[in-house]
Amino acid sequence: MKIEKINCNDVMDHICESLGEELDSQRCVEIKKHLNDCPNCQKYFTSVEKTIEFYKKYNIKMTEECHKRLMKKLGLED
Amino acid sequence: MSESELIKKAQSGDKKSLAELVKKYENTVYNFAFKICRDPEKAENTMQETFLSMVKSLKQFDGKSKLSTWLYRIVMNHCLMELRKKKYKFVSLDDDENENTAETVIPDWSSLPSDIVENIELRKILDKAISKLTPDYRAVFILRDVNGLSTEETGKITGLSVPAVKSRLHRARSFLRNELSRTLEK
Ligand SMILES: [Zn+2]
Repeated sequence: MKIEKINCNDVMDHICESLGEELDSQRCVEIKKHLNDCPNCQKYFTSVEKTIEFYKKYNIKMTEECHKRLMKKLGLED
Repeated sequence: MSESELIKKAQSGDKKSLAELVKKYENTVYNFAFKICRDPEKAENTMQETFLSMVKSLKQFDGKSKLSTWLYRIVMNHCLMELRKKKYKFVSLDDDENENTAETVIPDWSSLPSDIVENIELRKILDKAISKLTPDYRAVFILRDVNGLSTEETGKITGLSVPAVKSRLHRARSFLRNELSRTLEK
């Protein structure tokens, strides 16, 4: 079986899929290997992770008033 | 008391248990609604509608899926309805080829501080970028990446197959990443 050489474009295509996914296929092993030696792809990987982190940390707090309005609407005020 | 006990009691008309269930999920529902519609007022409205539907149809809830999955789906349907009314123009990623063209040199993001999320400007940028995504892409990204649900559960909530969830997630991530890079790397 011929193992294709992985280039940056392949990594860009598959890096996202592999984030948080299984990394044990032959292809992913090759991608990991490439990632270890390619600063450019590492930077891309970091930027995707950072994007996710930003959205994860962006939460809004529910106010007490908002909670009260909800309970009133449902007829469940204490 | 376990959740299924709470649900049973609420189904038989116990208001205290019903209130418990609402309190348990209000934050999750509110934040998910906000993350889909990107507007606190609409998020509150969606949350109210979601719990009204829950109260109305709790008797039909058979416990086969998780209550949270059920609630997520109601939020999703409500937001879809709202967004369709607006006839907003979204970016179509369904047959996109252009988003993955590798840039020659990629700037380093590792020095960007994470507490940048407290920054109002950045929040605006994040809102703007995700608002360009169609609701199904948006929901997949939020459920899977932001809320950490499994691919299977995300599929159940959005009505998409597992491969469809995966490909949407992949495209949504790189689309958002590229949108942010245009603004943040300036
Ligand atoms: Zn590379």
